[in-house]
Amino acid sequence: MPGAPAPASPVYWRLNTGVYRLIGMKCNDCGHISYPVKKICSECGSLNVEEYKLSKRGTVHTYCVQWAPPPGFEAPIVPIIVDMDGGGRYQGLLTEVASPEAVKIGDKVEMVLRKVMTDRGLNVYGYKFRLVEEE
Amino acid sequence: MRGKVAVIGAGKIRFGELFEMSLGDMVEQAYLNCLNSVDKGIAPKEIKAAWFGHWSGGFIGQGAMCGASLASFIGNLEIPVTRVENGCPTGGDAFRHACLGVASGVYDVALALGAEKMRDKPAAESLGAAGGGGGSEMGLHPSWMLGMGGPGIQALHATRQMHELGYTMENFARVAVKNHHNGTLCPYAHYQFEVTIERVLGSYIVCWPLHLLDCCPQTDGAAALIVCRADLAKKYTDKPVYVLGSNIGIDHKNLWDRNSFVEQLSTVRAARGAYEMAGIKPSDVDFAELHDCFTNTELMNIEDVGFARKGEAAGMLMNGEFDIDGRLPINPSGGLKAHGHPIGATGVGQLCELFWQLREEADKRQVKLKNGIGTQHNVGGDAFGVSAYNILSRSI
Amino acid sequence: MAGIIGYGVYIPRYRIEQKETQIPWSSWAGGEKAVCGADEDVVTMAAEATENAIKHAAIDPAQIDTIYLGTASSPYIEGHLLSPIFAEILGLPPEVRAVDYSGSLNALAMALLGCLDAIEAKNTKCGLVIGTENRMTAPGTESDASSGAGAVTMVIGTEDTIADFEAVHTYSTLFIDRWEAAQDGWVSNYFDYRFDREYGYKKHITGASKGLMQKVDKKGQDFTYVVFQQPDDRSPNLPIKELGIQAEQLAPSIASTLGDLGSCSAFVSLAGVLDKAKPGERILLATYGSGGSNAMSITVNKAIDKKRKRIVPLEKYAAQKDYITYVSYLKLREMIKRAPY
Repeated sequence: MPGAPAPASPVYWRLNTGVYRLIGMKCNDCGHISYPVKKICSECGSLNVEEYKLSKRGTVHTYCVQWAPPPGFEAPIVPIIVDMDGGGRYQGLLTEVASPEAVKIGDKVEMVLRKVMTDRGLNVYGYKFRLVEEE
Repeated sequence: MRGKVAVIGAGKIRFGELFEMSLGDMVEQAYLNCLNSVDKGIAPKEIKAAWFGHWSGGFIGQGAMCGASLASFIGNLEIPVTRVENGCPTGGDAFRHACLGVASGVYDVALALGAEKMRDKPAAESLGAAGGGGGSEMGLHPSWMLGMGGPGIQALHATRQMHELGYTMENFARVAVKNHHNGTLCPYAHYQFEVTIERVLGSYIVCWPLHLLDCCPQTDGAAALIVCRADLAKKYTDKPVYVLGSNIGIDHKNLWDRNSFVEQLSTVRAARGAYEMAGIKPSDVDFAELHDCFTNTELMNIEDVGFARKGEAAGMLMNGEFDIDGRLPINPSGGLKAHGHPIGATGVGQLCELFWQLREEADKRQVKLKNGIGTQHNVGGDAFGVSAYNILSRSI
Repeated sequence: MAGIIGYGVYIPRYRIEQKETQIPWSSWAGGEKAVCGADEDVVTMAAEATENAIKHAAIDPAQIDTIYLGTASSPYIEGHLLSPIFAEILGLPPEVRAVDYSGSLNALAMALLGCLDAIEAKNTKCGLVIGTENRMTAPGTESDASSGAGAVTMVIGTEDTIADFEAVHTYSTLFIDRWEAAQDGWVSNYFDYRFDREYGYKKHITGASKGLMQKVDKKGQDFTYVVFQQPDDRSPNLPIKELGIQAEQLAPSIASTLGDLGSCSAFVSLAGVLDKAKPGERILLATYGSGGSNAMSITVNKAIDKKRKRIVPLEKYAAQKDYITYVSYLKLREMIKRAPY
C-alpha cells in the first residue's frame, strides 16, 4: 500500500509476538481480555494486568461480506468478530467463504495462518478464521 | 454550559459533488453565508476565536490543515484558531470547543466552521481512506483491520441488529426512504430524489447486509456557526438559539474490545452527559439530527440517545413516528443519507438545521415544536469510539 | 539413528485438472493437482502441517531446538525468512537453530539429513523438519501442468518415535533436467523424457537405493513399501526392475491427484503410507531432483498404533476438493494481474 509502513518496519516487528504467538492481555480486576499487550486495561484503567495467550478457537459473534475492499484486495472479503474460547473477542477475516449464506452467528471457527498481503516483495502473515467442520 | 452560550448565526453551502469548488472556496462561501445570516449584523472583527473542523488531514490529497488554514481562508489573522479533528464528530466537536471558549468567559464571540473536500479523489478511494488504510498506519496489524471502515463496521452491527433485535433489511431501507424524502425538501441536501424500499434493496451490495443506498454518499461541503455569550445575544438577533448541553462520549478504539454490537457506548455516554448538563430528559426533545452514515446506524442512534428502548426503534420507524410530520422527526434535513457527509462539515451542518428549525425558518420541512428543543448527534472515529451530542433550545 | 516422533501434512483444497492448464498450448497432460488459495503460500501451508505434526507427536513445542525447513519455492533469494516464522509461532528462543534449505527438489531431504546428522553429533535433541512447496511455473510449460502445492512436517528425535531411520545414502552427479534461473521467475525443464528419466531420474534413484540397500544389507523384496519421488505416475516404475522391487510395493500415486509436490513429493507420499503402516514394516524412500537422490530406509515402530488417533490423514486433505477454472488459476498464480492504474 503506498504510504503505509513496509513489512520490514518496526510497526510489524513490534506486533510479531502479538500476531504470531497470540499473546494478549487479561485484566485481573475487571476480567477484560484483549490484544495487543498493554500495561493499562483499556476497559477500566487498572494496572493489574498480565499477559494472556489467546485461544485459537471460538464462535462467530457477527460478520459482514465486504464487496468494496481496500485497493489491491479482491472482493469479497469476510470480516468477522469472534467470541474466543476462554474469553475475549478477536477481529479478523473469514477465509474459504464467499457468501453470507455460508456463515451463521454461532458457527465454530478456528484460526489458520494465512498470507494477508504482500508489499515490496515481502509477505505479511496473520491469522484468519476458517469454519470448523463438524465431525 | 446551560445558560451561557447562544447561537446567533448559521451558514451553509449546498452539499454535493462540488468539483468546481476547492476547500478554500467552500470555506469562504460558508463563512460569508454565516456572517450574512446574523439578523442585526456582525462585523468580522467581532469574532474573537475560531475552531476549524476538518477531518481528512492528508488522506484525500488535502494536506493536513491547521489553524492558519482557516484564518487565511476567512481573512482574519488576528485571532487564535485551532483545527479540530475527532473522527466523524469533528464538526460537532468544533462547535463544542467554540461553546467552551465562550462559556469559559475568555471569548465573547467565537466561530465554528467545518469543511471537507472528499471528491478530489474517486469515491472508492475516499471511502477506503475513511477506513484507516490497511492497519499498519494505525499501529495495528492488517490481519485485524482489513475490510474495516465505515461500511464494514456498521455492517457488523447491522448483522447483529438483525440477529438480536429481529431487524430486517426492509427496516434499514425505510430509513433511506424517510431521509431521501426529507432531502427533497431541503435546498442544501446533496441528494434531492425520493427512493423506495425496493430501490434500496435492489441497489448493489456494498458490504452485506448494507446496500449502496443504505450508505451515505461521499460529499463536499462546508458550514459555519457563530456563538456568543448568552447575555450578549440580543445585540445580534431577537431570536437566538441557546446551547443547553454539549458533550463528547467515548468508547474503546478497537472493535474487538466492544461489549455489544447493537449499541454504541460512545453515543450513550455523549447523550447521557449532555442531558445531565441540560437538565432535560430524552422525552423533552422535539426533533433530532442523528448520524445516519448508514441506515442501520440511525436505528441504533435512536435507541442509544434514549428515544426508544433497544429493539423498539424499527417498529416506531415503520409506523412513521420519525417522519417529518411524525411524533419525533429524525433528520428533517435529509440526514447524512440524503444531505451528505462531508466529514468535518457534517456536525456543523446538522447544527445549522437545528438553528433554522428552532427559529421556525425551515420552510417546507419545518417540524412541529412543543418544547422548542432539538438535539444533534455524530458518532465515528476509530471503531466509532467517539460521539458528539449537542442540545439546542429556543429558550434559555 | 533418530526417527519420526510425529508427522503432519497439509494440502490446499483447490484443484485444477492438469489438462486445463495446457489446453491453450497443447493437450497431453492427465490427472489433476492441488492449487494454493489466494491467501495461502509456502508459509501458511507449512503452518498447518506443523500444527498437525506437533499434535501427532504430542510433544511440548519448547522441546524443539532446531528448525530445518526445505523448499524449492522460497519467495526469497536472500534471507532465511521462513524458518524463523515457525520459531516465532512456537515461541522458541533465539538459540534455536532456524535454517532454510532452499532451491532444490532435494531441499527437504537435505534438511532431514542435516537434522539427523545434528542429532547424531549430539548438537540437537529434537528437530522440526518442515517441507513446503508451491513452485512458480509459467503458462504453457510442462511444469505448470504438473506442479502441485502441499506441505509436510516431521518432528525428528530419539524418544517415543513411531518410525526410525535405519540408514541414508546420497548419490549425486552434475546433471541438469530442471532449473529456475534467478533471472527467470519460473521453473524450466529440459524435458527430453527419455534422456531425463533414464539418465536423471532412474540412474540416480537406482544408485542411491542400491547403496542404501547395501548399507542395511537388505534386498528390494524386504521393503513393504517403496516411496519414490513422483514427478508423474510413470516414473517410479522405471528403477524397480533393477532393484528387485515389485510394482505392488510402490506407494499409491499422488502425482495425478495432488500434482508434482517437488521437494515434498516423497515425504507427503511417505505420510500417506505411514497413515496405514503397521509395526515392523520397512519402507524404502528415495527423492530425486536435478542430478541428486537421497535414499533412506525407515522401520515402523509399535508407537505408531498408539498415536494413530491423533493423525490428520493425507486422505482427508486429498478428499477436500474445490475445482477452479483456468482463469482463476492464472489469477491465483499471478500470471495475469490487474493493471495498477
